[in-house]
Amino acid sequence: MPSRHAACSCGRLSLEVVGEPVRISVCHCLACQRRTGSAFGAQARFAADGVAVTGDYREYVRYSDEDGEERRFRFCPECGSTVFYTTGGAEDLVAVPLGAFADPAFPPPTVSVYESRRHPWVALPEDIQRG
Amino acid sequence: MTREAACSCGQLRVTAVGEPFAVGICHCLACQRRTGSAFGMQAGYEAGQVEVAGRSPSTRGRLTRPIARCTCSASARTAGAPSSIPSPDEPDLVVVMTGAFADPSFPAPTEAGYTARRYPWVGLPGRLQGGHTGDSNPRTP
Repeated sequence: MPSRHAACSCGRLSLEVVGEPVRISVCHCLACQRRTGSAFGAQARFAADGVAVTGDYREYVRYSDEDGEERRFRFCPECGSTVFYTTGGAEDLVAVPLGAFADPAFPPPTVSVYESRRHPWVALPEDIQRG
Repeated sequence: MTREAACSCGQLRVTAVGEPFAVGICHCLACQRRTGSAFGMQAGYEAGQVEVAGRSPSTRGRLTRPIARCTCSASARTAGAPSSIPSPDEPDLVVVMTGAFADPSFPAPTEAGYTARRYPWVGLPGRLQGGHTGDSNPRTP
């Protein structure tokens, strides 16, 4: 089965990911804007048993403003890039920030959430599911 | 206008007075890895417009620019959001990651670099969608 490689900026924290993502989404929330430093977050979720982690990481835990759901972000202590995270205490599904793959050919997102926080100049595919 | 920027955990903060002289997007693979998003977005300020407060250990990668960022390594509640990239070539220039402002009304980008690396599903304002790269402008953040 083909695998994908994801890594932080400095390469000390990396993932080998086997299997296709179960969900690819964009999030416009303010927390994703701060975490990325960009206009929105983009991430792909994979079954955890297909994700192998190499390297040290630290965690930043934050609770969703909406429902208090836990978000456990894992990032490289050297360069700070978030390389994977889990939500709601569920460790069977792993979210990987799209940019960690550094692959513009990665499949496009099909879901866009927190549209109320979208920078108005950001245009996404017309058929994307919005929330 | 004064804007406040901060990392995820709030330990590294920037106050920016006045408008940025440029707002740019960069599609390069390094910006993708740094942000985890589809592109980097940053605002360029004169150093005198910007005040930085808090903790910012620096890292130096393969690129020539040191990166000041919060990794909050002493804290149990930590964050890795990048906040500024001062260029050693232009000490009068401070670049702030626009996401740190967490403000959807922040001015839209007017320049884009490394468009060859753009994710095809990312739609941008007018001329940025096409071949304009802004790469020739040394002050593109």
